[in-house]
Amino acid sequence: MIEVQQLVKHYHGFTALKGITFTAQPGEILGLLGPNGAGKTTTMRILTGFMPPSEGSARIAGFDILTDSIEARRRVGYMPERVPIYPDMTVEGYVRFWAKLRGVKQPHDGVKSVLERFNLYDRRRHLVRTLSKGMRQRLGLAQALVHNPDVVILDEPTIGIDPQQVIEVRESVRALAKTHTVLFSTHILSEAEQVCDRVVILNRGEVVAQGQPDELRRQLYPGDHLYVEILGGGVETGLKLLGAIRGVETVEPQGSGFNVLARGDVRSLISERVSQAGYKLLELRPVAMTLEDIFLEVVKRRTPPQT
Amino acid sequence: MWIVFRKELGQYFNSPLAYLIMAGFLFLTGLWFNSDLTFSVGTKAPDPALIPFNLSFFMVFLAPVLTMRLFAEETREGTLELLLTAPVRERDIVLGKFLSAWCFFSILLLITLIYQGILISISRPDLGHTIAAYLGIWLYGGATLGVGLLFSALTENQVLAAFLSTSVLAFLWLGDLAGAIVANIDLARVIREITLQGHFSDSFAYGLMRVEDVVYFAGVIAITLFLTMRVVESRRWR
Repeated sequence: MIEVQQLVKHYHGFTALKGITFTAQPGEILGLLGPNGAGKTTTMRILTGFMPPSEGSARIAGFDILTDSIEARRRVGYMPERVPIYPDMTVEGYVRFWAKLRGVKQPHDGVKSVLERFNLYDRRRHLVRTLSKGMRQRLGLAQALVHNPDVVILDEPTIGIDPQQVIEVRESVRALAKTHTVLFSTHILSEAEQVCDRVVILNRGEVVAQGQPDELRRQLYPGDHLYVEILGGGVETGLKLLGAIRGVETVEPQGSGFNVLARGDVRSLISERVSQAGYKLLELRPVAMTLEDIFLEVVKRRTPPQT
Repeated sequence: MWIVFRKELGQYFNSPLAYLIMAGFLFLTGLWFNSDLTFSVGTKAPDPALIPFNLSFFMVFLAPVLTMRLFAEETREGTLELLLTAPVRERDIVLGKFLSAWCFFSILLLITLIYQGILISISRPDLGHTIAAYLGIWLYGGATLGVGLLFSALTENQVLAAFLSTSVLAFLWLGDLAGAIVANIDLARVIREITLQGHFSDSFAYGLMRVEDVVYFAGVIAITLFLTMRVVESRRWR
């Protein structure tokens, strides 16, 4: 549904995108993940037809964004990072305007349904300027979806809203899966993990990793992560004891215990060695790797060491 | 184009500023009409082109006020980004906005026909003169709105847009006076040919309809709209 091939964007003597390639399948929620300045907004602006790429190509639902720009734009719903509003329009008038502009001939039913879906129907006659920030985010989602597009592009939709509204927006985005292809940018890693089926990690204009969060975990940390806490002995003893166990690859002190990376299941061996050495095992548990760990790891691996 | 046109025209009537402009406009034109009528009693026939003629100067200030928000506000609020991702061409956006401003100005102009109705009821004005003067000021208004729209697209600051377009319009208006005092006749003629007043005060204002004046105003409208389209399009490349 979204095909991006070797996209490059230069502006003001700066290369914002350095040949990124990725695809999103129909019904998939694809997270575009990266720190500020990674190139997420530039990618989205190119895909929505707002700006052309310097090199490379992109297709939306089979339509090239340069040669079939109007057809591609017809199939996209876009919500920029800051929801743009016409303050003097009513909520209903605002959504109807975008529906008509995107080619909906009889917008009445579509507008009503999208306002109901985002709990804005009761406020349909209010001026947009009177809405709270959370409501404006929902209004942004409503305008992006009113023409029932194949592809929905959301640029950091949860930024600057309170935690309850963040949960609502995330749920709304999750609800879009299956019926729409969603490209969702965020720099909050846990959010990408909760919302997205797959993630593309961008850093300084390059794709540094892509795949399902679980898949990325397996690629980058092909082993078991354990947290071990021992009563008795010191840090040195613990490092030596755990490091000597067959299958253990690395041991690092972490808080009052140790982080252990091992190949295969070494839990029974750890328990046995600790009691043989006369210490007590206080805690032994697998550690789930977060997307944050993955992100830091890929960025670390790709950053050349400083001399 | 018509979707943008309807939205923009609606925006004029949703904003209190538009009603203030309308009230001020009617007050001013009413004052002109009344003073001319009072002055005319027993001395001369009332001037049927009085309001169009005075408006030709007034448009230096009115056109920037009517157009300043059209693009500057969209750029500042970020709606222009969303507008440029919709399946519409820059041409339709620019034309829709321009026509809405011209339509609002036409409504203002139509309201002043009340004065012509009063004139007809109490005297026998030269209707040809009236029609030519109104057609002239309508085209003149379109050209000034085109200039205002261009400056609105060039900046996201509405006040700056209004200031710049007022300056250019004042220059185009005063240029006519400069043409009158330049000693070199050829130069004076060239200056008059490029100014707004040069194509209004000696022709339409006297009830004269000349093709060259119509072409001039249509040309100013076409050029300013073309430049506005290019400026809006350039947003994609910045």
